[in-house]
Amino acid sequence: MSGPGARRLRKSALCWLALSPLLVLCLFPYAVMFITAIKPASEVLRPTWWPSEPAWHNIVDMWNATGFGVALFNSVKVAVLSTAVALAVSVPFAYALDRFRFTGEGAVRQFLLVTQMLSPIVLVIGLFRLIVWLGLVDTTWSLVAIYGAFNIAFTVWMLQSYFATIPRELEEAAWIEGASRARAVAQVFLPLALPAMTVTAIFGFINAWNEFVIALTILRSDSSHTLPIRIFSLVAGRYTVEWHHVMSAALVATVPVAIVFSWLQRYLVRGMSVGAVK
Amino acid sequence: MTINKLRLGAAALALTAATAQADTVRVTVAEYSSLTGPYFEDAAAAFEEANPGTDIQIEVVPWDVMLQKLTTDISAGANADLSIIGTRWLVDFVDEGIAAPLDDFMDDEFTGRFIDVFLSPSVFDGQTFGLPIAASARAMYYNADLFEQAGLESAPDTWEELVEAARAIDALGDDIAGFGMQGAQIETDVYFYYAFWAFGGELVQEDGTSGLNTEAGIQAAQLYLDLLNEGLTQEGVTSMTREDVQNLFKEGRVGMMITAPFLATQIRNEVPDLNFGVAAIPAGPDGDRGTYGVTDSIIMFENSQNKDTAWAFLDFIFTTEWRARFTGGEGFLPVQTAVAAMPEFADDPVLAEFAALLPEARFAPVIAGWEEIAERTSVALQTIYLGQGDIEEPLTAAAADINPILGAN
Amino acid sequence: MRRYDAILPYLLLAPGLFLAAMIILMPLWQLSVLSFSDVNRFGVPRGLTGWDNYARIFADPDFYRAFWRTVVWTVGIVGGTILVAFPVALILNEDFAGRGVARVIVMLPWAMSLTMMAIVWRWALSGESGMLNSALIWAGVIERNVQWLAHGQTAFPMQIMIGILVSVPFTVTIFLGGLASIPDDLYEAARLESASAWQCFAELTWPLMRPFVNIAVVLNTIYVFNSFPIIWVTTQGGPANSTDILVTYLYRLGFRIGRMGEAAALSLLMFLFLLALTAVYVALATRKGRA
Repeated sequence: MSGPGARRLRKSALCWLALSPLLVLCLFPYAVMFITAIKPASEVLRPTWWPSEPAWHNIVDMWNATGFGVALFNSVKVAVLSTAVALAVSVPFAYALDRFRFTGEGAVRQFLLVTQMLSPIVLVIGLFRLIVWLGLVDTTWSLVAIYGAFNIAFTVWMLQSYFATIPRELEEAAWIEGASRARAVAQVFLPLALPAMTVTAIFGFINAWNEFVIALTILRSDSSHTLPIRIFSLVAGRYTVEWHHVMSAALVATVPVAIVFSWLQRYLVRGMSVGAVK
Repeated sequence: MTINKLRLGAAALALTAATAQADTVRVTVAEYSSLTGPYFEDAAAAFEEANPGTDIQIEVVPWDVMLQKLTTDISAGANADLSIIGTRWLVDFVDEGIAAPLDDFMDDEFTGRFIDVFLSPSVFDGQTFGLPIAASARAMYYNADLFEQAGLESAPDTWEELVEAARAIDALGDDIAGFGMQGAQIETDVYFYYAFWAFGGELVQEDGTSGLNTEAGIQAAQLYLDLLNEGLTQEGVTSMTREDVQNLFKEGRVGMMITAPFLATQIRNEVPDLNFGVAAIPAGPDGDRGTYGVTDSIIMFENSQNKDTAWAFLDFIFTTEWRARFTGGEGFLPVQTAVAAMPEFADDPVLAEFAALLPEARFAPVIAGWEEIAERTSVALQTIYLGQGDIEEPLTAAAADINPILGAN
Repeated sequence: MRRYDAILPYLLLAPGLFLAAMIILMPLWQLSVLSFSDVNRFGVPRGLTGWDNYARIFADPDFYRAFWRTVVWTVGIVGGTILVAFPVALILNEDFAGRGVARVIVMLPWAMSLTMMAIVWRWALSGESGMLNSALIWAGVIERNVQWLAHGQTAFPMQIMIGILVSVPFTVTIFLGGLASIPDDLYEAARLESASAWQCFAELTWPLMRPFVNIAVVLNTIYVFNSFPIIWVTTQGGPANSTDILVTYLYRLGFRIGRMGEAAALSLLMFLFLLALTAVYVALATRKGRA
């Protein structure tokens, strides 16, 4: 009766039971968002948990009312490009930190941490002047550069803890066979680092996808706005808030990310495994 | 080196841009509702069509972050040519030389379009620095069905009657509150001034000090606190923004509340079956009564390179046709005589009630740093509403903080 | 070749350092100038004033209250996050049915932007039309609506709870990575020596996880200390400043009240405080790690 199957079942039940309070809390905001998004306008203010009939058209209405398509395009563009920028500078960065010993290594690490220490709401004052000085106001390119720069710290840290797990011997073997350092990196090292780079890329993507304060300060015209600005403008200081539209917008902006996340989670942990924090 | 290259590139870009857009006017617009953006886009398109070679760029900003955006823009010298601002901020813009005087552009015909009470808050020392783009006043909304159920004949005319009416309505059910009271975020202070003015209070007294901790302030705060303690208001007052209370009113769960004309527009669109009325804000024991008048102004920046085109655009949106569309859509009060005379506004019973209150309207005092005073007052009121001690102490403390801002001691 | 190798690491670092320096050093310089200047309402400096802005900050009683609340806020969220995330990571590291699904659910709060998360919670916490109250009434936990955001005593713990919720996924990820890095044969060996589960944890898991806990504490402290949307969206620091932390206080100073000079001074103070805090923590953690 109490074979290994039953034991596993009991263990699973215990695990789920222990996790359940947290799981409920994690799902709660999504439930609120989803249910409010499909409530008919007349029921939005009533705190019922199920609409009398799902109003799927809310999502279409919201899409048209907020110019969602353009903002979606901008968000994808900014998130993809800024992630690419962050990776392009972080991969050599992390490689250098992991494979070389050089003076100032510790200082460089500390510096990366320091770049995260100024609150974004303060940072914008200085950043904005920089952007004005460069003449890049109202361009999504400035966001690409800023988000890319912001992600460097985390990206380098993630990449480096993974790079540490790629045995040096592999590269050294390539050198012995006469390959240059660059070739060894390109043909031996980078292919092995690909999973880590993928995972790291997703982090950068999500940060850029969700950023609001900097985008709000730098972007001006409707045609350059990103999603968080469009969504925030639905709630911020209007004389009436159409909550079902707000939640529809949030839902449409969040669900793709959530799906990518769920597909990603296995790589997420594996990508970070073994790498020690130095 | 990279920076220099970038700069060069940017400069080259800017140069070509400058020649191509000699007649570009940037307009920062506050978002009142989902209609605001489209309205200004349409106006810009119509203007560009009538004036070939011009380019009007509309930049819509959510109200909550408007001041933040303006501050960052101005501090970096990257502000637009025209911008909507709260008229209560205007004095700061004038003091710092940021807003340009408009008198050289305005002729008698143009000035004559406006109802004087709305234009005058934007005039300093005889110079006009802004044009009223939006105007509202406050009046009392009441739920006529609840009044009938409670056996009440008419809307209360004094605060004493209001307390009675609130008691009768509150008794109708657990879910129903007699008087809807705002206690959080923007205009928490204003909700208090309604009673404060009725008791004869003055925000700035003749000697230039704050009137908050005068007898009127204490009586008004006591009145609100009594309403609260007796359970005649909705619950959780200190978390209720104006919008939250309006939502409760739309749900039919609040007997009375004081707010702006746009609630009527919202009710017509969202809950057309709600049977409501609009009445004057109740009077105090001596018959004093005051409503809050608010205007938002559109200003021209002193550093604008394109003042003439910017003015032409202002002249354009302040024509009757464009004014009527804006005012009707957003649910504001007409600021122009010709618009007010149009049947859709003149025959509107709700607007008529608001218009009747205008002679009693008080506008936010023209004081540099008004925003800070409002903030300080709201915190004092929340302290009182939370019941953390007596009434006089927080009001006195707030007044003591406000006096230096007023330049008095 | 040798010389090339000596400068190669710096060449590799250069682009990243340049970008990172641009977004931190320029703003830091700008803020320093502002903090020593007499700044007008719109952030335009009008000449130097020395330490005036700093003095005014230190003279404001609200600053001290906000500071202590920030300490509670940061310690509460970072501590709570570690306390929740560690056992959760241990469980998620076990092999049980549906582990993949459970992992996804735990990660979900991370997928939503912080601003959006705060907006959803503000809506859910609303006293009269909030779905939290209706859920709790349905579950029989409470009998009547609780006005969560009307009092600091209920609002602040709720905000800390939201803070924990959004920090857990990131932290669990770090911990799972750490747990995966502990080789299985270590446990095998321990089992051969018939160590108890507790001994395994205390003598194997915990020491090996220390570096991961440290990085989680440092990063979370930095992020939480500066976190703005949760409090701003739900209460704006109210009612009566009872949920005001340094960042919300700073925002009001700079963008509402128009005292940009003081805001700049405060932001530098916060930056230095955070810098000192992390330096001390890192020093302590590495020393203990060696002992």
